[in-house]
Amino acid sequence: MDYTITTVAPIVLLPFFAFVINVFLAKRVPIAAVALSTLAIFGSFIYALRIFLDFQNVYAVGYHIHKVFTWFDLSAGEHLFKVNMGIYIDNMTATMLLMVTAVATLIHVFSTWYMHDDERFARFFVYMSLFTSAMLGLVLSDNLLSVFIFWELMGFCSYSLIGFYYEKEGAGNASMKAFMTTRVGDVFFLMGILIIWIIVGNTTFVDIYAAIGAGKFGGVFTSFGIGLPIATIAALCIFAGTMGKSAQFPIHVWLPDAMFGPTPCSALIHAATMVAAGVYLSLRMYPLMEAGHILTFIAYIGAITAFGAATIALIQTDIKAVLAYSTISQLGYMVIGIGVGSYNASFMHLITHAVFKACLFLSAGSVIHSIHCQEMPQMGGLRKKLPYTFFAMLLCCFAIAGVPFFSGFVSKDRILGDALLMAMENKAFIPVALLGFGGALLTAFYMFRMLFLTFFGEPRDHHIYDHAHEEHIGWNSNIPLLILSVFTLGLFYSGSFTGQGEVNLFGSKYEWFQTLIHKPEASHLEHFAHYEKEDFGTTDTRDKVELPKAAYDANHGLSEEAAHHVHFVHKIGAILSIFIAFAGIFLAYSMYITKKLDPNWWATTFSGWRKALQNKYYFDDLYIGKIIQKGLLPFNNLLAKFDSGIYDRYVVDGTAVLNRWAYNISRWFDNNVVDSGMVDGTGASVRLMNVVLRTIQSGKVQLYIIVLVVVLASYVLTLRF
Amino acid sequence: MFSNTLFLLSAVLTVAGALMVVYTKNLMHACIYLLASFFGIAGLYACLGADFLAATQLVVYAGGVIILMLFAIMLTGGTGNKVNRYGLEKIPAMGNKKTYFTAGFTAIVSALILVKITMSAMSGNPAVANLTNEPTVERLGTILATDHILAFEISSVLLLGALVGAAVISRPRKEIHD
Amino acid sequence: MINLWAYLGISFILFICGIMVMIARKNIIALLLGVELILNAAALNFAAYTKFSNGNLDGHIMSLFIIIIAAAESAVGLGIVIRFFQLRESIHIDDASTLQN
Repeated sequence: MDYTITTVAPIVLLPFFAFVINVFLAKRVPIAAVALSTLAIFGSFIYALRIFLDFQNVYAVGYHIHKVFTWFDLSAGEHLFKVNMGIYIDNMTATMLLMVTAVATLIHVFSTWYMHDDERFARFFVYMSLFTSAMLGLVLSDNLLSVFIFWELMGFCSYSLIGFYYEKEGAGNASMKAFMTTRVGDVFFLMGILIIWIIVGNTTFVDIYAAIGAGKFGGVFTSFGIGLPIATIAALCIFAGTMGKSAQFPIHVWLPDAMFGPTPCSALIHAATMVAAGVYLSLRMYPLMEAGHILTFIAYIGAITAFGAATIALIQTDIKAVLAYSTISQLGYMVIGIGVGSYNASFMHLITHAVFKACLFLSAGSVIHSIHCQEMPQMGGLRKKLPYTFFAMLLCCFAIAGVPFFSGFVSKDRILGDALLMAMENKAFIPVALLGFGGALLTAFYMFRMLFLTFFGEPRDHHIYDHAHEEHIGWNSNIPLLILSVFTLGLFYSGSFTGQGEVNLFGSKYEWFQTLIHKPEASHLEHFAHYEKEDFGTTDTRDKVELPKAAYDANHGLSEEAAHHVHFVHKIGAILSIFIAFAGIFLAYSMYITKKLDPNWWATTFSGWRKALQNKYYFDDLYIGKIIQKGLLPFNNLLAKFDSGIYDRYVVDGTAVLNRWAYNISRWFDNNVVDSGMVDGTGASVRLMNVVLRTIQSGKVQLYIIVLVVVLASYVLTLRF
Repeated sequence: MFSNTLFLLSAVLTVAGALMVVYTKNLMHACIYLLASFFGIAGLYACLGADFLAATQLVVYAGGVIILMLFAIMLTGGTGNKVNRYGLEKIPAMGNKKTYFTAGFTAIVSALILVKITMSAMSGNPAVANLTNEPTVERLGTILATDHILAFEISSVLLLGALVGAAVISRPRKEIHD
Repeated sequence: MINLWAYLGISFILFICGIMVMIARKNIIALLLGVELILNAAALNFAAYTKFSNGNLDGHIMSLFIIIIAAAESAVGLGIVIRFFQLRESIHIDDASTLQN
């Protein structure tokens, strides 16, 4: 397959053009706008599928396509200021593209059912098209600058979609909160980009890798007597962007509030793609994180997020809130994966999480749409009314809880296994592993609590139950759920039991994920300097050499002994995970189905904790109550006092007094000099000239002739010939 | 001898006609005197060997311009309006002593100009004609159609514009009186 | 006897007469007569210089164009005079001293 502007650009441009057209079309022909958006993203999916199959089947591991074009060039002499834009496709990009387009397509299809009786039906698709084009642009970007551009575009779409039901109380505030909170991370991200720009000279990924390999980030930035390595500062800044976008502790507070948006947009933006973009960025910048020695910090952030969000999810009653906290928790697992160096597994968890969490959100959307209620205590027994939704949600709950043979088990277990491995090597990682396993237990518990409360038992609110719509199979109502739920099977991601190839059930050809996705190793970063760059155009100038396909290496390049150790630890981790998952499920079962354990007993015994959880660990109180009201507001008041007390009183009023003096002086001047002398004088002079000119300008032609002759005479007679 | 006689007659006719144009009080007469003066100028052209110019002078001026003038005089004459719209007495249409005095002053001034210019230009001996009086029509036509073709075409456009313009300007417009 | 001076003298007299007509008369048509005199003086000069100077016919061409322009000018000028007479019932030059009515 050729990689030219006609085969790559449509991935981004189809949704973008759909957006541009829909901006004008949405109000007049809503149904056409909806169809256009859905078809556009489906077209993107076809193109992405081509690229993915190409990469999976044809090219080798290290293969990539990097095409650049000059955006603007302000180079003057040796001051190089040239900004290139371009596309960078490697195995990771191809996988990500497929995931984003596939999930987005299914969610678009689902939205045509979910949103069809909304009055702003078409506007929703306008935002969705813009969002998908921005997300795909981010994935295809070859440099941090365009990543940042698309990043902000996504932030805007997220803002608009959270506030989509702006007449609902709180939606506006929630959208503002999401935008402002992510802005904290974005500012740091921009600073990181600038640091990288200063050091590398551009922001292309491969150039950054090459610069890290060449040791350009080795400098130390000293300020106020504290020296920090530049790599650390840059890595922290970039990771702050990830924290904002992926809702990591301590700026995770926006994601639960983001559930004010329509459920399909929660599925697409706040579960599958946009929040994953933060993790994707950190994965892309992994060598920088490694060079900055902040992996431990990252792992701790991820662990705190994963566990803390899971605990909050325990007591939520809103079905979407449970899923929101579960999303934060799972993102925490991905970040743990980055922190413990489990690059491949982290990315795999990104993909698997996108699929099952999108499916969970769509299922929740299906439930909400049929009973018009989000509170789980009012549900119950919906299994019979919504069988297909129940089936899809069950599979996804298995996946997220980490039941073997499901995708969540494969990816999460590998992250936890790597965390365990790190904990055995380095004591600093022991809390990370403990929090990770503890979070897994809680995950299994709260997901099945949600499932049991929603679908099992007796209907708790008969009014709602009786009015629930019977579910029928429909191409846009529950087929997308079922398709997504099929892809929660672990088989699609890894053929082996633990995901590490140890208990290999289906053979290594199912291990495409591990074969294709490889960490940019620190020792091999130099070769990125020799990577080819091509002009982006209508022809493909690459060498069409058939590259050797990568073979699956069960030892991951390690020696036999080391690999044995790794596999041993992973086996322990897998057994622990299975045990934990089933323990969590059993706990939920005994609490909500057989009622052997009374939830109320737990609630009363741990009432202090419960209160803390209900208040989400007081983060909102802290941010709004303490930082904003106690910190920023007094500061604002101080500024206001300064403004009114000093600035207004002395500067503004003083200026006024000075002005009054100046006014008196200038009034005298005005009256006596300007008015009497100049204005009246002008009038008088005009009147005088009027008398003179009126006499000359008589309109009498003969007088003109005389004047002409006289002037000519005076001219000629003074000349000397 | 013949050419000398022709020159003298023509010169006398020209100068006398021009002076009579200045002198006469009757506009119609002035026009006729002007015609005489033009005849004289045509004669002078003939003396200069400019046969085509002489013919053109006769055709255009005697046949065209003077007739136009006469028509205009006849179309516009006959107003006994001696006062202007402010009720002040107007200067007579053909001038009085005061206007003649002004005209004389202006004439002297412009004569001074001309003298000043021509004296410097004519300081040497005037050249003597060395041309034979051969017909100029053919050469003139050739030059007009080759070297001066642009000016020729522009003048044709000018004449067309003058034709249309004169017709448009002199057309009675009722709406002005409405 | 018949040299350039004679012709220049005649055209000088014509020019002065034209100037005097233009200044002394108050009738617009009379003014046009003066203009014609001045133009003829110029045309005569051109023809005379052709004869007594180099002998090529560019002077004749100039005279010819002067005649053309004089004809056009008198046509338009008389059109204006007639129009003016229709408006003002007068062809007195002092009545034409304002731009508007």
